[in-house]
Amino acid sequence: MEHQREQSGGDLGEAHASVAWSAAAVAASVATLSGCGGGGGDAGKAPTSAPTDDPQVLAGATTLLPEEDAARFLGQAALSAPMAEVTRLVNAGLNYNAWLDEQFAKPARTDTASALNGRTAYQLALDQGVLALDASGQNYAHIGGDFGLDSALWFRLITADDVLRQRIVLALSEIFVVSQRNMPIPWGHMACLAYWDLLERHCFGTFRELIEAITLSPAMGTYLSLRGSKRADAGGRRPDENFARELLQLFTIGLVRLDDGGQPAGGETYGIQDVTELARALTGWDFDRPMPPSYTLGTLPDYTRRPMTLVADRHDDDAKFLPSLNLSLPAGAGGAQDLRAALDGICAHPNVAPFFARQLIQRLVSSNPEPVHVQRVTRVFRDTGGDLKAVIRAVLMDPLARRSLSGTASVRRSKLREPMLRFVQWGRLVQLRSTDNRWSVGDLSASDRLGQSPMRSPSVFNFFRPGYVPLNSGVSADGFVAPEFQITNESTVIGYANFMLSHIAGAPQQGLVVDYSEWLPLATDPAKLVDRLNLQLTGRALAAASVDTITRAVRSLPATSAEQQLRRVQMAFYLMLVSPDYLVQR
Amino acid sequence: MSHIPPHSDAPQASRRDFLRRGGALSLGVTLPAWGMNLAAMAASADAAAAVSNTGDGYKALVCIFLQGGNDHANTVVPVDATGHALYARLRGGLATPRAQLLPLSPLTSAPAVAGLGTGQLALSPALPQLERLFNTERRLAVLLNIGPLRQPTTLAQFRARSVALPPKLFSHNDQQSVWQSHAAEGSTVGWGGVIGDQGLLLNRAAQATESLSCVNLAGNTVYPAGQRAGQFMVNALGPDRLLALQPANMLGSQDCVDAFKALVGTQEPAVHRLAKEHSAIMRRAMDTNAVLLDKLSAITEPAERAQPSGNPLADQLRTAARIMAAHRSLGAAGTAGAGLRRQVFFVSLGGFDLHDNLSGQHPLLLAQLDAALAQLDADLDVLQMRDQVTAFTASDFGRTLSSNGDGSDHGWGAHHFVMGGAVQGGRFWGDWPEVTDHDSGAQNIGQGRLLPTMAVDHLAEALARWMGVTDADALSRIAPHRAAFAANSPLTGLMSG
Repeated sequence: MEHQREQSGGDLGEAHASVAWSAAAVAASVATLSGCGGGGGDAGKAPTSAPTDDPQVLAGATTLLPEEDAARFLGQAALSAPMAEVTRLVNAGLNYNAWLDEQFAKPARTDTASALNGRTAYQLALDQGVLALDASGQNYAHIGGDFGLDSALWFRLITADDVLRQRIVLALSEIFVVSQRNMPIPWGHMACLAYWDLLERHCFGTFRELIEAITLSPAMGTYLSLRGSKRADAGGRRPDENFARELLQLFTIGLVRLDDGGQPAGGETYGIQDVTELARALTGWDFDRPMPPSYTLGTLPDYTRRPMTLVADRHDDDAKFLPSLNLSLPAGAGGAQDLRAALDGICAHPNVAPFFARQLIQRLVSSNPEPVHVQRVTRVFRDTGGDLKAVIRAVLMDPLARRSLSGTASVRRSKLREPMLRFVQWGRLVQLRSTDNRWSVGDLSASDRLGQSPMRSPSVFNFFRPGYVPLNSGVSADGFVAPEFQITNESTVIGYANFMLSHIAGAPQQGLVVDYSEWLPLATDPAKLVDRLNLQLTGRALAAASVDTITRAVRSLPATSAEQQLRRVQMAFYLMLVSPDYLVQR
Repeated sequence: MSHIPPHSDAPQASRRDFLRRGGALSLGVTLPAWGMNLAAMAASADAAAAVSNTGDGYKALVCIFLQGGNDHANTVVPVDATGHALYARLRGGLATPRAQLLPLSPLTSAPAVAGLGTGQLALSPALPQLERLFNTERRLAVLLNIGPLRQPTTLAQFRARSVALPPKLFSHNDQQSVWQSHAAEGSTVGWGGVIGDQGLLLNRAAQATESLSCVNLAGNTVYPAGQRAGQFMVNALGPDRLLALQPANMLGSQDCVDAFKALVGTQEPAVHRLAKEHSAIMRRAMDTNAVLLDKLSAITEPAERAQPSGNPLADQLRTAARIMAAHRSLGAAGTAGAGLRRQVFFVSLGGFDLHDNLSGQHPLLLAQLDAALAQLDADLDVLQMRDQVTAFTASDFGRTLSSNGDGSDHGWGAHHFVMGGAVQGGRFWGDWPEVTDHDSGAQNIGQGRLLPTMAVDHLAEALARWMGVTDADALSRIAPHRAAFAANSPLTGLMSG
């Protein structure tokens, strides 16, 4: 009953009768696509479809079934929607606040926990053998390179049960960026893992504590070169401005004044003098070691997890003044006090709350946060002194995140799923496991893979900018932004599709196995199978036409043997994972 | 960052250059035997003129973006005693010793460089191929102190903020955007894209694969995005085949292949805006990749790279050269057109934001630039397309002259390179900036950060005109601040032909 047609050789993408890919259509569509934005607007003009033209607007608000609502919530707050968790939430009356309480209470990690998943990421690398002996019999075989980094992080993201914490830590790692791609110190990969552990320790604390911990972390000290920065000398050397600038621009107040809704309110927040003065205030910090770390003179990784310490005679102890922040740091205060006072002054800036709130909403809920949503989260931030638990709750429990919406609002509350999160969602559902415990998933940031990998951002600006507008497209009508499209282009879309296809059955040669047995009973009922995946992967957000297409394709496959049934399940997963409807989180 | 291998030896200068440099044949010199092959290979009947030009009117522009802000001060360096002494005093531990520098000898016919006096300039020791391209081949030009400007700006005006300045100076992402599109981050059309839009019209008229008018081999960025011409992303080593289009990869099921195509390329009207955009990208990928893969498979020279070479810029430029090589075959299916007429390419090399470890890292990065540009020049020689392709470097900004201990911080004006057979190379363009001490000098806005005296608009205009752009509206978007400057551009005559 196998339904096969011969594919003529070497004609990828060529015309096929059953879809409109005839040669003439290709030529015509090429001309059309090149001639306008994404959907057929006037040549040479930026598309400006008014909100009411958007077909999505015409649909009224739809009420979700409880299980759909639960899956959608988990899509924002967790890493996947296992049926057991969906059912648990439904039975608890969709009490998301209680779910958040549970997640906030999950224990912190230690080096010595008996369960692997209770261990710090740093310890996981030690467990993996990062201190293996080199040729001279010392523990420096992996002093360079990236041994243990990807395996610890993928293990964590795929198997951890504190899913909210992991979701938040991943989000924070994309705001307060540190990356293995520029960590040129001995044990730089361990510094990255120590940084992930730091984010885990502080993600449910206060914003101010988080900022201070990040500032003094060896990873950030290296990544933005604060470490070793010294006061000016007579020979013309000046303090390093890198961290000072990015602290203001990317981590706290941004470049422009914002109103409480996160919208530009006119005027710049800081100028070049603020940067140079702040750089002076932050001089003197270095790794907590008596000597600089060395690739050749016996350095162990422990220094990468101790906060930096002050070298007093490198600190610029003269008075400083940051004019735009109206922040005065008196002379003689010392480096520790200068750092505290500088961070206090910056964190007190009214921009901090909306700047952070808007980005957190973008990571979890929507690329185009509604100003009133930002405003409500901003108020919570200010009322609680930057209590991150309260802020996270405010982001997720806001009606604009939870309720069914209609009109433009429903289109706005959407985002393209990050490739990392698509992979993790699938991996968790199919119980991706490593048979040899090496978790050899690797660095997936190349464009022929996911185009993204944890702690491997190409720069401090993350894989994509909060304000990115897709070029030559209709997305930017109504001022929409779509950050995740910055890594979505003709080569990465193919990379993702190829990568998922190559790995849909796991990668046994790398010790990575998957388990589809949960869905095998549904293999003989394609409609139920596809509906189940639609529920778990998207909260049943797939368009009816897509559901239909996938169901028919799955039904066309044979299903007599267990092997064939497994293939049906895998194909159902794959077709859904590449559907644009799945790729957009709503 | 710590494992960049040393660059491989660059290929030797081509014997074909003998003809070009010599101009008319010298008396008594016999045309080498391979001159016959040249005539056969050249598209044009005029063999002498066709040495570096296929004669079919194709032109390509290559933007080589150095991500992070290249340290210009250690790239183009004073090498005369006085000039070097000042540079060394102001740079401290970051300064390159005088004996290591590669002195540049501009054409004697070139005008004197204002502000340089009797000074002499040199290149970093990491740039021996560029030194050859400047001193011997004369295919490399050096632009001095270029950067974004809204209008001519003096130091006093900068300090007083009494004239319009480019937005968000010293901010990486914004300055990348300003260099590429004259506007801060968020802009959606780059001046390379505007040139590409004009090229697209020619490509369309020639019934060529116009979706390849602008090709990006690095990562999404605004430079090659036009209003009509979208940037087409290609992997550094070349386009990949989409596995799901082969039934063999889809459980032998044509139905599943069809379902895949229907899903990923959906044009259902009632589809979410973001889903629609994703589908549009996938359709472009499927359509154009198929054509590109097909045509590239016929290109044996320059050869495809199967694995990364360790020099990402060289990999991108090799694929760019292969696409250029295929330009004549990239016509619309079923037509016998002359192929693409114009292309704009974007490539990049990262890692230049050297706030620390400058002395260790910068030479490694410059060596990659050096090797990659030399490779492009050699590949174009094989294709006889040197006159038809112009490459130029750009970067977020220059950097401070002063050191922060082991690196430099964000600056503004910088020195850059333009390379190609049509470039009036072997000379400097622009004025040498005045920096007399850490914080003094007419072009010193502090710590040796340079106030530019040449605007990006000048370069954009020169390159656009060379690419044949004459439309006044397009030129006003390519060089929007041009009118604020003197009528005579400092880059008048940069390009010939």
